Amino acid sequence: MRPLTLRRLFLQCSILVLILLVVVVIAVKFGAVPVSLYALGRDLWHVLLGQRADLSSDYVLIIKNIRLPRILLGIIVGASLSVAGTSFQALLRNPLADPYVLGVSMGASLGSILALIAEPHLSISPALSSLLTPLGAFLGAGATIAAVYFLGRREGQIDSATLLLGGVIISSFLSAIIMFLMNTLSGNLRGLSFWLMGDLSTPLQKSAYWFLGIGFLLAAGAIYTTAADLNLLLSGEKEAMHLGVDVPRVRLVVYIAASLLTGLAVSVSGAIGYVGLIVPHAIRFIFGSDHRTLLPTAALGGAIALVFADTLARTIVAPTEVSVGAVTAVAGAPLFIYLLRRRLS
Amino acid sequence: MKEFARPRLRRVSAAIAALLSCAALTCAQSAPPVSSTSPAFREVTDEVGRTVRLPQPVRRIVSLAPSLTETVYALGLQDRLVGDTDYCDYPADARKKTKVGGAINPSLEQIVALHPDLVLVTKGLNRLETVHSLDGLGISSYATDPHTVEEIITSSKKLSDVLGVPEAGASVAGEMQRRLADLQQRVGALAAKRVLFVVWTQPLISVGKDTFIADALRRAGAVSIVDSEQGWPQVSLEEVARLQPEFLVFADSHSDSASPAFEMLATLPGWSILDAVSNRRFAVISDAVNRPAPRIVTAIEDLAKQLHPDAFVEKPENGKEKMEKENLPPNQRPALHYPFSPDVLQDRMTTPGGRACAH
Repeated sequence: MRPLTLRRLFLQCSILVLILLVVVVIAVKFGAVPVSLYALGRDLWHVLLGQRADLSSDYVLIIKNIRLPRILLGIIVGASLSVAGTSFQALLRNPLADPYVLGVSMGASLGSILALIAEPHLSISPALSSLLTPLGAFLGAGATIAAVYFLGRREGQIDSATLLLGGVIISSFLSAIIMFLMNTLSGNLRGLSFWLMGDLSTPLQKSAYWFLGIGFLLAAGAIYTTAADLNLLLSGEKEAMHLGVDVPRVRLVVYIAASLLTGLAVSVSGAIGYVGLIVPHAIRFIFGSDHRTLLPTAALGGAIALVFADTLARTIVAPTEVSVGAVTAVAGAPLFIYLLRRRLS
Repeated sequence: MKEFARPRLRRVSAAIAALLSCAALTCAQSAPPVSSTSPAFREVTDEVGRTVRLPQPVRRIVSLAPSLTETVYALGLQDRLVGDTDYCDYPADARKKTKVGGAINPSLEQIVALHPDLVLVTKGLNRLETVHSLDGLGISSYATDPHTVEEIITSSKKLSDVLGVPEAGASVAGEMQRRLADLQQRVGALAAKRVLFVVWTQPLISVGKDTFIADALRRAGAVSIVDSEQGWPQVSLEEVARLQPEFLVFADSHSDSASPAFEMLATLPGWSILDAVSNRRFAVISDAVNRPAPRIVTAIEDLAKQLHPDAFVEKPENGKEKMEKENLPPNQRPALHYPFSPDVLQDRMTTPGGRACAH
């Protein structure tokens, strides 16, 4: 493995930041309501020069209050899912691992729903209660990945096929429970089916973006501290241990932080699949699999992919919106099958 | 579809407040809206207890539910309706309005671009998130929440007042009440027919007892065999066979044709154990029954005439006779006389854009 140079990391990241900027501009331009970038730029320029007091209220509402918050949410959720996917792939030494495929997203969904159901029965302050869904999602994600991990272990080693099967079974088990809850509980959970497919359309309160952003930085930062160890872990848990890696500690850190990332993403946007699968693969293919560069570049790649997918979701049949989860699944599922077949052959 | 769905918890405290205030709804409906604060704006309380600030007069309306679109047309305010949903198909003119997407997932930016003074939502169909998003964008929204036919009437009346056309609302409400009273006179004393209202066939979904549809059935001299607290319960064929409904009731946009739903259902294995199926006892009524809007009265009349044909055999009046929408075989066909004058409602609602601004 080549030594890490800041130059290389910086170069890779700046390429991706540039692509992200282009995608963001595309996402700002396209939508149910046409926006002229030229006119927007001109007006912005006038505002900067002080020739105008403010942008026209249409721009303010549509771009500043609807599209930009949604793009920001896409960036955070995409980066979270992608980093979580990268981490699971390293931790489980399985390139097919992804929060969605492993059932972790479904666990987080169930956690959120249980939190939703429990919330009216708990007498807690509104400030605390807004943290209850993310907490439920985190616990659900954590419990699921633990279950999948133990299901996937055979004689002390992780068995790839068992692991994936375990994930699939747990995922369908959890979604059956969700179905059961939705069918039996009266009324209020109907719109959940929309959210379950993955949805970025609802603007959040300002504080939620801070919460998400800081949560992402902390969890992704924690995973990044183990980046060098994850590289060694790729050769096997025993081998890594012989090379001086504190495997249980790395496992614990990555496992908690990746569950947190999945939980955060699911609690605001539902179960968006395959972002954590496609993106790390594409990035590894282009930039190599050194986790010290892979983690930050995968985060940027996830942001790019989800913002782009969401732009498609909003525009293909505008003004009606498709679930962004449907868009990512259409792109991701065939890739998953391709990877699976290549791995088996 | 009884409540706003609530996927996310952040807003739940607000949701609970809204739900609790539903209890106060009955009072709120009879009371006149809270009076104005300034000449250009006034504040009203909507049917889930939210205070809504709206400009006077309301010139630009976006409707996020087919029922609300119909009500706006019934009130003669179609020229002020600047946007509606993909599912707003009645009257035909409503299809031509700018679409803002579906009721569950409307495009917020399309709504913003239409510069509405007021967005109409209904608790039974729209999501609470949509309302909160609109609040965040500074766009006023007014929510309705009717659970009975009577509440559909008061709700339409209250909406007409909010939109500044109380006379139109009084006329629509009066017409509905007159027709319902007439029905009551004809079928009120008769034994109610036991029916299964079929919302969906595979799986079989019917309506719960607290829905406006169940109430509409009662108004038509029918009673649903399904006695569920849920809004849209899935019921088993076994249970239906045990209860043996006298009639199956289907809602269809073309109520004059024989029901494809019934024909399909009659071929399904197992369904022949129902007497109603083997005897071809079914009624197909206007799909207006699915929408809490003034036109529901037409669907109720449809049903009453098919279930209680004898109650409508009587002294034909001169002139104003109307052919009935009827799917029964000719030998079962009830009287064809329609002893009501062509009503304001139907006039308005079947005339796209035209002569509706009576007020």
